[in-house]
Amino acid sequence: MWKPVHLFAFKKKFDFLGQRKVALIVSTLINIVAILGVAFVGLNFGIDFKGGIAIQARAKQGVAQLDTLRSTVGALGVGEVSLQEFGEASTVLIRIQRQDGGPQCVAGAQRVLQKRAGAGWQAKPGAGGTGDVELTAPAALDGAGWRDAVSRVGLTILERQLPRGATNTAKVDMTPEQRAEWCQQVAIKQVEDAIGANYEIRGTESVGPKVGDELMVSGIWAVLATMAAIVIYVWFRYEWQFGVGALIAMVHDVLTTLGIFVLLQLDFSLTALAAVLTIAGYSINDTVVIFDRVRENMRRYKKLGLIELLNLSLNETLSRTLMTSGTVFVAVGALVLFGGPVLYSFSVAMLWGVIVGTYSSVWIACAALVYLKLRPDQLRPVEEQEKAEKAKT
Amino acid sequence: MLNLPRWQTIVIIAITVVSGLFALPNLLPSKVLDVLPHWYSQSRIGLGLDLRGGAHFLLEADLRSVLTERLTNLSDSVRSELRKQQVTFKDVNVEPGRALVISLRDEAQRAKAIEAIRILDPTLVVSGSGDTIRLAYSDAELFRRKKEVIDQSIEILRRRVDETGTLEPTITRQGDERILLQVPGIKDTTDLKRKINQTAKLTFHLVNEDVAAAGANIPATLPPTTFLAPTREGMQDLRRSNPKAWEDIQAANPRMSPEQICRRYQPQCLPVLKRVVVGGEDLDDSKATFEQQQGGRPIISFTFNSAGGRAFCAATRANIGKRLAIQLDGEIISAPVVQSAICGGSGIITGTFTTQQTQEQALLLRSGALPATLTIIQESTVGADLGADAIRAGTVAAIVGTVLVALVMFVAYGPVFGGFANLAMLVNLLMVFAGMSILGASLTLPGMAGLVLTVGMAVDSNVLIYERVREEKALGRSAFSSIATGYERAMSAIIDANLTTLIAAVLLFGFGSGPIRGFATTLSLGLLTSMFSSTIFTRMLLSVWVRWRRPTELLI
Repeated sequence: MWKPVHLFAFKKKFDFLGQRKVALIVSTLINIVAILGVAFVGLNFGIDFKGGIAIQARAKQGVAQLDTLRSTVGALGVGEVSLQEFGEASTVLIRIQRQDGGPQCVAGAQRVLQKRAGAGWQAKPGAGGTGDVELTAPAALDGAGWRDAVSRVGLTILERQLPRGATNTAKVDMTPEQRAEWCQQVAIKQVEDAIGANYEIRGTESVGPKVGDELMVSGIWAVLATMAAIVIYVWFRYEWQFGVGALIAMVHDVLTTLGIFVLLQLDFSLTALAAVLTIAGYSINDTVVIFDRVRENMRRYKKLGLIELLNLSLNETLSRTLMTSGTVFVAVGALVLFGGPVLYSFSVAMLWGVIVGTYSSVWIACAALVYLKLRPDQLRPVEEQEKAEKAKT
Repeated sequence: MLNLPRWQTIVIIAITVVSGLFALPNLLPSKVLDVLPHWYSQSRIGLGLDLRGGAHFLLEADLRSVLTERLTNLSDSVRSELRKQQVTFKDVNVEPGRALVISLRDEAQRAKAIEAIRILDPTLVVSGSGDTIRLAYSDAELFRRKKEVIDQSIEILRRRVDETGTLEPTITRQGDERILLQVPGIKDTTDLKRKINQTAKLTFHLVNEDVAAAGANIPATLPPTTFLAPTREGMQDLRRSNPKAWEDIQAANPRMSPEQICRRYQPQCLPVLKRVVVGGEDLDDSKATFEQQQGGRPIISFTFNSAGGRAFCAATRANIGKRLAIQLDGEIISAPVVQSAICGGSGIITGTFTTQQTQEQALLLRSGALPATLTIIQESTVGADLGADAIRAGTVAAIVGTVLVALVMFVAYGPVFGGFANLAMLVNLLMVFAGMSILGASLTLPGMAGLVLTVGMAVDSNVLIYERVREEKALGRSAFSSIATGYERAMSAIIDANLTTLIAAVLLFGFGSGPIRGFATTLSLGLLTSMFSSTIFTRMLLSVWVRWRRPTELLI
């Protein structure tokens, strides 16, 4: 049997708050840079929020030829295309901007039809200037034939929109919005046709314009609602100065995390948003542990100056602050190293969140208490009574 | 605080064991599972599509067009009704998706006009003043109609996508006007779209009463104009009495013709004329309702479009007293007797139906055609090997993470305290699995990340407790008292820390969709259960241990 190792037992007492001005300046600068970065460089939004298409493809032989792929897919008329190696050299993630449903998409649909349903097929925009599309078959088709053909270009359609009896042209009624959504499908099929000979399509994802816009709005709401709920909780449990301190620390953590996303140009997808929300929640963890101790010490040492008291509390809780962060750091580290490419952005963000959360608990949340001039007589008396009762038992 | 009453210890152990039992089917090899009873071995956590591979579609129904179309139909009826009542009007206009506006020539006829329209559709809300009458659906009615369209679309999608009953698709409502369709195991979406686009074949045929008069002794050769089709009831009887035959019919490739089924398995069948009177594409609507007179029996009403209405009118006029068979995908769902010529585009089917039967039949009649255009607004497909890669990566990360965290805890707090914390961490994982089994949640790749994160966060509670124990010990307290005080003093910080993260996780669940929900699920479950495993469970272990070993000095 072995003896426990006190991993973070420091002999020295640190004067954390002595450096609060330096920390304040550095943090403010970093936050300003983060805000400017988000505003002017921008987050590298994934298709979840922007709408668009992501296709994961793997070379059937050898490594993925990014240059060739870029020119092949770029020539399809599907708009902006970006490629990145994904996890391994043979695998590539092709991202295509969201489709606006313009006439080039109908031309694309014609190519897909010709490739998948036979040479003679034609597709052209309807005459009315709405989203309508007119399809022409090489020979007269009945209802079943039409259904099969439209399925091949990724359309889901109402049967009563299709012609009755045998005809060779059909007009598919669509609003411009419906056509834009459909064009996402057309773009995927085009890419499949263009690279399918040399690449295996492992997975596709498309988010239409409508869902993209909605997720963006609800994502912002989710972040704001989470932060508000957490602050209300802390405010409810502690004095308002603690609530403000926790809020500033949390905003600091969230902003710098967004900054990391900008700096490393990590994909900001739904999973990334999950990381941001989790960081907002986790940011408080170390903070409440320290605040808990600050409150306890404040009752015990009523005469001690605030800075000395905070320093005392920070030193007393230092080893647990480092240990709790350490265990999460280790777990998230495993995710970064082994979690695979899909979770990479999430894991890197979480790793950063753990580090910055620990820093902000010490230098931001506690420093805020100094500037808010917390005094022992501001503590709630109710808590005192509870404490006294507990002490008796 | 450390002296737990015996019943508490028993309850804690019982909770742990029950969680273990719930989690167990997920951990046992399939060989062992085969031996266990089905209900137990089947209660496993499903894999999300991102791990299992499959296709996921979010479809949006174009409800506005549907409502506009219904209003347009209504405007025709309103016009003819007003003419019949000799109310003069300038125009009847449709406000897309919402209302109908009638402008009268003579304001004095307003009351008369409203009375006439009321009969057509009593659910409409009448407003407007002077010579205009505005007829709108009330919010409740609008909601009901939208819900009806979505429910019907879901039912039809289910029939079309899962003809064979083997694909296990998940089809659910999402909000007001969307449907989520998930089909595990398929990658080729063209095939799936072909299924979505395929129409159920609904046709109306006259029954060949000359042949039917022979009763059960249907002759071996039928006139060339006639074919045999099984009735739905007959097929259901067959399914009950001879499940093997029913399965054979479902699995047959190519599909058996109705006549083949009749000849081979002899369910109840009817001889019908091959000529199609009207096709399902001409059927606009059908619903379960009640008869106005004669005691209000449950009946089914249906409406044709104008082409269908004309054909139906001609056919019924010529065949009063004969039966008209309604065939859906090769089965006769109903064969009512034609009572009178049915003209004007709508009719009713009467019979000895229960309310439930009329609802089913109405739904079947409607299942010929999707009521609204479904546009794919989000799609994802994951190949099975991509899913397998994700499972591998997630599992490796989870195992490495867990082992590393366990090592840190062993090193920092020694074999006893570290061991208890690590045991609690495993119990926590079991409880998360159990919780997911009970909730029927699926495991996704982000969900696995949530598990790893939970592992790191769950031991935090033990860190807080143990650090406090160390402090109390340094203050000179006895072993027993240090542990007891450590638990007590660490509690408020543990609850605060867990609850704040839980708030984030729960809000994420409310906001997120798909795989992200998996993350929110495992993280919230993990945080909740860790409050049991890291505190209550380890306290129980320590209390037993302290009483057993009676340590004078704590190795912590």
